[in-house]
Amino acid sequence: MKINIRAFAGFREILGREISLEIEEGSNVSDLIERLCRIKPGFRDAVFSETGELRDYVIIMLNRRRLDMPEDLNSPLSDNDEVAIFPPVAGG
Amino acid sequence: MITEGAIDLAEMLRGAISPESGAVVAFIGVVRADPGVTALEIEAYDDAALDELRRIKEEAISRFGVSYVNILHRKGRISLGEIIVVVACASPHRKDAFDACEYVIDELKRRVLIWKKELTGEGGRWVNTR
Repeated sequence: MKINIRAFAGFREILGREISLEIEEGSNVSDLIERLCRIKPGFRDAVFSETGELRDYVIIMLNRRRLDMPEDLNSPLSDNDEVAIFPPVAGG
Repeated sequence: MITEGAIDLAEMLRGAISPESGAVVAFIGVVRADPGVTALEIEAYDDAALDELRRIKEEAISRFGVSYVNILHRKGRISLGEIIVVVACASPHRKDAFDACEYVIDELKRRVLIWKKELTGEGGRWVNTR
């Protein structure tokens, strides 16, 4: 299935603004993050601390709904889902 | 509500002025010349940011009873001294317009999916609001 990923700020500089990935049916958000860590240098250090915990400034939206971390990491993904990854906002 | 081009302040204020409103209050955010900063780079999660801006506008209208709210935020590269954001609110009396304007800019900074990078001679740094 195809997942569309949108990244912003520092994460955009690592991942690119918009990428699509083919991942296995039945994958969840955690699987997607792990896949991105494998293919994008620097992404693992950006999202995980030295002890392997998700950094607290990582915000993930699934189809425009903000996920609660880390409990929603096991949210299942479906074909054509949009996953957005970004740090806290800083507009204005 | 989000634009790459320069903001026409006069045009925004003209839209706020009408016989129904005795008060127009505007907040104008400007790129400040902090030490080492040469410009700002602003990016937005466009669709999601627009949805949130529309929600904030509706909230301001229902909470404060203002007759007019207009919000325009820049994105892309912005030079020192240029306008980043304008919030214009109009109401029959000034208190509601002041309150609505403050509410909109505070909520915008807290909720709208926009990020800014301070560009410096050595590259740049993303602004961390926390």
